[in-house]
Amino acid sequence: MNKVELAVIGAGPAGLAAAIEAAQLGVKVVVFDENAQPGGQLFKQIHKFFGSREHRAGTRGFRIGQELLAQTEELGVKVNLGSTVFGLDKRNLWVLKEGKTEVYQADAVIVAAGASENALAFPGSTLPGVMTAGAAQTFINLHRVLPGKKVLMVGSGNVGLIVSYQLMQAGAEVVGLVEAAPSIGGYGVHAAKIKRAGVPLFLGHTIAEAIGEHQVESAVLTKLNESFQPIPGSEITLEVDTICIAVGLTPMMELARMAGAELKYVPKLGGHVPVNNDNMETSITGMFVAGDVCGVEEASSAMEEGRLAGVTAAEYLKHIAGKAAADRKALIREQLSAIRNGTFGNKEHLKDKVKEENTLGLRFSGTPSKDELDSCPGVPSEGRLAKGPVAVIECVQEIPCNPCEQVCPKGAIKVGKPITSLPQLTENACNGCASCVTACPGLAIVTVDRTYDENKALVTFPYEYLPLPETGATVHAVNRQGERICYGQVVKVRNNKKADGTVAISLAVPEEYAMEVRSMAKGGTK
Amino acid sequence: MNILDHPILGEVEAAKRKVTLFVNGRSIEAYEGQPIAAALMAVGIKSFRQTARKQQDRGIFCGIGRCTDCMMTVNGEPNVRTCVTSVAEGMVVETQIGLGSWREIPHE
Amino acid sequence: MTETNKKEVIICRCEDVSEVEIKQAIEEGFTTINAIKKRLRTGMGLCQGRTCQKLVARIIAQETGKSMEEILLPTTRPPVRPIIMGAFEGEDQ
Repeated sequence: MNKVELAVIGAGPAGLAAAIEAAQLGVKVVVFDENAQPGGQLFKQIHKFFGSREHRAGTRGFRIGQELLAQTEELGVKVNLGSTVFGLDKRNLWVLKEGKTEVYQADAVIVAAGASENALAFPGSTLPGVMTAGAAQTFINLHRVLPGKKVLMVGSGNVGLIVSYQLMQAGAEVVGLVEAAPSIGGYGVHAAKIKRAGVPLFLGHTIAEAIGEHQVESAVLTKLNESFQPIPGSEITLEVDTICIAVGLTPMMELARMAGAELKYVPKLGGHVPVNNDNMETSITGMFVAGDVCGVEEASSAMEEGRLAGVTAAEYLKHIAGKAAADRKALIREQLSAIRNGTFGNKEHLKDKVKEENTLGLRFSGTPSKDELDSCPGVPSEGRLAKGPVAVIECVQEIPCNPCEQVCPKGAIKVGKPITSLPQLTENACNGCASCVTACPGLAIVTVDRTYDENKALVTFPYEYLPLPETGATVHAVNRQGERICYGQVVKVRNNKKADGTVAISLAVPEEYAMEVRSMAKGGTK
Repeated sequence: MNILDHPILGEVEAAKRKVTLFVNGRSIEAYEGQPIAAALMAVGIKSFRQTARKQQDRGIFCGIGRCTDCMMTVNGEPNVRTCVTSVAEGMVVETQIGLGSWREIPHE
Repeated sequence: MTETNKKEVIICRCEDVSEVEIKQAIEEGFTTINAIKKRLRTGMGLCQGRTCQKLVARIIAQETGKSMEEILLPTTRPPVRPIIMGAFEGEDQ
């Protein structure tokens, strides 16, 4: 029997953050993870995270993973990889490592086991070529292999939107994204990125069938009526070789349940979750939870929950007490509630909105509507646009994010508190330097210079595909819908190291398209 | 297809070592450290096994070792999850029919 | 593939169990995840039901009107991952 002070199950964002926090307070921590590599899903996340700048927002997920690992190493946290915890009984962990069972006795346990992807069953859903979106993401970003050339994505939550974008970055074509609901589930800025790349969004549709002899050759979509029943005769057939399933996650609460923790069924959180309080304590003394295992959310909130569980565990183990512990926890809770604020923090409220509203706008099309842009505090006035280069911040959804505010050298962008507030542009303070263009994790900012030339405007937008265009080349300029609306001449390609792969491309386009051009067609040289 | 260059992740290291494995008798190259499933995906092999009851093709589904759909017979051992098992020089990989059979039990 | 099984929907990927078979079992009175598991082997394959459990639950909910909350949550027994039996003995495999 091996004795440990604190055992953390899962080396994902929640588990690592918990281990770091507890170790900083003097706890001896051992982390267990069944995978050969630590980091959970973090190393597959190559996009920049939202959140606040102080908490690594604007940093790509895999780099956050690297930072967390460096910290665990520095603190002497032992991370046991290839170690499957297959049994848990209050304090005892049964761990399988290299074909041998080891038993550990822990004074306290943090379960941060994460969540697993939901499956979807339809005719042909077992054909090779149908895989979860997470599987596709694993292969493109970790193993560096493309699952197919033409991909259909099923599901419009953040996973479906992000993996669609990353498939295109890896070189695949995404021929469509299907969503049964009448609106997009994930962040609008993620949807806008794939919309600009010309991906058709089939909202109010479902996948009816995957067709192929030994592997996927095509997919049949069907339109749904208001009661989510397929409408006969509405079938669309798409030629695809890969179908990705992104229909939600289910918390992996098996170990917590096995240990006897009380569970509660919360559909919004993905299913049965261990009951926990705002200290992340479960119904079992000395057992704590953090991350997706107690409700599916984003990696940023998983890390904050992990930190909270880490402090609580340290308090339980008598490494911190009283006001010091309370203050530390209060600070983390504040951070957690800040990122849970906004449009996506209150899902019930959202559902009502979807019913009554019309079908315009970012949530329904992947493109902000004229009304949304007109009332957006980040979009400058006509008068200001006429004066010269200025930022156009097309951020219309309240998501927890503020790197634009932090990066602006002129202090012209204000997000303030809560960080879910829309960024506000002080248009006369902005000189159109484009620092914010490559800093925005949502790629929702461009700069526009209507004074560039007598009949040409200069639009500078973020771009994260290969190949990069040459300066002087003529390319297809595209609008927010991804339509090729005119030609543009590449004036500047700025690949700043600090922007970490987000390149700022400046295109000279006919003046009348200044407020329409928002990107260029991928590899779209004339 | 291997993704040799990537806008965020950069180029695959040119120095990365390659190994050769044999898939149903065909020899293929793979990068050291790559899972078997990735090596097969890179050369376009999608069907990994056939089910026992209905003889249907199965391939990669979850990609992280949970669903067991990508099992193959590796060096004579059946039911190997190819998505979480790394390639090795000279490895023999075979399509698995049903639950497979132990041809040669590797004892040290 | 023949025309008859072309539209077949497989629910349990490991044991090749179809939606039709599950619906028949429910009609025969097997209306819990465990009962269907004993009748049809759903969730008894190598993945131990990690993939199909929610799908089976949804079919039971549709057919019986029971809530997902009530249907889900069969007893979780160790191991929670596919592991080689010899491991329990501490044998070298």
